Amino acid sequence: MSSRRAPRGEYIETDTGNKVARKATLVGTQHIMLGGKTVIQPDAMIRGDLVRTIHPSSQSGGNAAPQNNTAISIGRYCFLSRNCCLRPPGRFYKGAFTYMPLRMGDHVFVGPGAVVQAASVGSHVHIGAGCVIGEFAIIKDYVRILDGTVVPPNMVIPSFSIVAGQPARVIGEVPEGGHEAFELRDLYKTVGNNPQPAPH
Amino acid sequence: MATAFTPYSYIQCPCSDITPTDRRSGGSPTTPEPDDDDRAFDPRAPRSSFSLYPLEYLMYCEDCHQIRCPRCVAEEIVTYYCPNCLFECPVCVGPLAVTSVETKPDPNLLAAPDNSAAPLAGPYALTCSYCLWTSTEVGIQFDKPNGIHAQLAKLRNGGTTRLTAKERKERRKDPSYKAQPPPPDSQDLDHEAQFANLKAFYQGQLADPNTADAGLALLGDLGFSSPTSLSRIMSIYTGGSLLHDKKAKTRLGAMREALDPDEGLLVASLDESAAISKLRSEGLDGTASTAQLVGQPPNMVEPPLHGNERFLDTLRPVPHLLRTKRSKRCPVCRHIISKPESKVQTTRFRIRLVAGSYIPSISIRQLALSSGTGSGTSASGPAVPGAPLEPLKPAHFLLTFKNPIFETIKVTLGAPATTPGRFASRVTVLCPEFEVDANTDVWDEALKNNAERDRELRRRRGESVSANSGGISSANQLEVGKIWERGRNWVSIVVEVVPASLALAPGNPPLREDEDVLEIPMFVRVEWEAEMAGDEVGAAPSRSNSEAREKRELAYWCVLGVGRIRQR
Repeated sequence: MSSRRAPRGEYIETDTGNKVARKATLVGTQHIMLGGKTVIQPDAMIRGDLVRTIHPSSQSGGNAAPQNNTAISIGRYCFLSRNCCLRPPGRFYKGAFTYMPLRMGDHVFVGPGAVVQAASVGSHVHIGAGCVIGEFAIIKDYVRILDGTVVPPNMVIPSFSIVAGQPARVIGEVPEGGHEAFELRDLYKTVGNNPQPAPH
Repeated sequence: MATAFTPYSYIQCPCSDITPTDRRSGGSPTTPEPDDDDRAFDPRAPRSSFSLYPLEYLMYCEDCHQIRCPRCVAEEIVTYYCPNCLFECPVCVGPLAVTSVETKPDPNLLAAPDNSAAPLAGPYALTCSYCLWTSTEVGIQFDKPNGIHAQLAKLRNGGTTRLTAKERKERRKDPSYKAQPPPPDSQDLDHEAQFANLKAFYQGQLADPNTADAGLALLGDLGFSSPTSLSRIMSIYTGGSLLHDKKAKTRLGAMREALDPDEGLLVASLDESAAISKLRSEGLDGTASTAQLVGQPPNMVEPPLHGNERFLDTLRPVPHLLRTKRSKRCPVCRHIISKPESKVQTTRFRIRLVAGSYIPSISIRQLALSSGTGSGTSASGPAVPGAPLEPLKPAHFLLTFKNPIFETIKVTLGAPATTPGRFASRVTVLCPEFEVDANTDVWDEALKNNAERDRELRRRRGESVSANSGGISSANQLEVGKIWERGRNWVSIVVEVVPASLALAPGNPPLREDEDVLEIPMFVRVEWEAEMAGDEVGAAPSRSNSEAREKRELAYWCVLGVGRIRQR
């Protein structure tokens, strides 16, 4: 993430269009992959240091391909609100504790104060404010998680679900006309060092 | 009141308008008489909540040119799929995971065996990582970590095994088992076993020609417990695959009923003293909640009837519900208006005719006026969005209509002068008739040179004042008949409301839930010209060579929830 240092604004805007707040806490940046056009708001935390320590192919050896050491990969047009936290899930694997990568698709909105420990989050997902996504949860595409939801560990949320409650349960389906509401292109433009007003 | 109010707009689907005699159910879309209060749509009528939908929930039929709501479309299941192939926790609804019952020794301990890296050995149990319920609490353990569903079908709560249907059939055939009759234990008879026994018994009765004994001859004449009615009923419940005995139809003799558990007789155990004493010892904490009981699937492997499924230890893991992908059809013309791809993994749609791409969207924003324009606005600062409205003080709301189609549309609005209900707020639509420009390509707009743009803007405003569309300027005056602001494919107009006072005369019933919400019923009529040939309304942009144009019109009621009125 090289930054154009010239104007010292609130955000660092990278060549690929990422807008990373200077006050965001990014730990282990070499293990964090941003797809581009992603907004990381102040006080958001991404724990890239919790990297996988055991690799399934390490026993088989043979090919010395470079190990993929990505702890968190984030797609395009994601929006990480203030005080949210992305944390790779961890578990015992073959007798030792290891973290597993957290994958996030495109157009994922993470609300303020949410904690995400999912194994994978699909594309076009809205995670509301104050949500807790348990370890190794799998969230498919076009899922809306309402504010304050606690998604238990290992839960699989199918596509087009609306999820709420503690623990989370599927309370409805995203209607056909609601797909466009997941688009985050317009929201991307409204933050940064020279934000545009939200379109009508 | 604690949470800020978010303005909303709901649209009434015309499908609920089949009873014009029922005035309370809503106005007729074919006769727009918004000024006539009797015909105005009442959003507070009890039936209205069943016909109002947010725009996202509505579909649009291109052949009928009409809005379709989730209630009036016909759904067809495209595919079923399993979202998660394990079980749900019966106590909370968290997912269950297979874990080993034996806890592993800590690998960091010196006493740990060397093979600590080996996978965990059985027995296994289903564990909820949210509420820490495990299936060992109901006495269920598994030998293998896979094939849980099949293993669970053979296990009762408490760990006792049961016979599956196949095993039971084999046992019945086995002559050595027949020879020594087991004690008739009715508790051994669960739903599945009882049904199987009864079915076998009645099939035997039907096949036996010598059952016409004279007992209950009167009832037999009526057809009760006769082979005819029995075979009819059995073919209903077993899918018609049963024997169709032509001879049986002619017989009217009565048959005997099942007499012992082997024939499917189950005596109801009316003795509930065990349940009562258990309730005494375990208390209410040991009982299952209604929601937990409702979540339980019909328990096929437990004995049915009294005294069951009241305690936590009778709960069983709940298999995940299957999900479906469904296509939708217009109920009138049977055209498909929504069709997802049948592959489970994809989220694409082959056909998706949503109302949002045919009818204008309406967004509502409260307008903060720094200076009153004759209407007595005294808002000193910008209005806080979502703050309660002051009674009897005029408030202004900006309605922004965004045109999704590639034709210019003419919008006509109508709203009753006062809102229906006990608290009549006054509503004035300052500009009830306007045009919204077509949803042209964004680039066309951007590539226009500035002069042209300026002229365009002036034309749009219909005036010669220097218009800047950038923001709300002092040039924007609250003028009747004038558009507030205009953009590429959107128009903002102002609605003035004078909220009613919520003061209740003594003796009146108290405020009902959400009665303080100021809801404006509004009749929207959209007119545009479309190409004659293509039935697609929003597909092709207008071309000059296609002369044949036809007028299209769409009219519907909608409800604008603008805010809550402050209570004194």
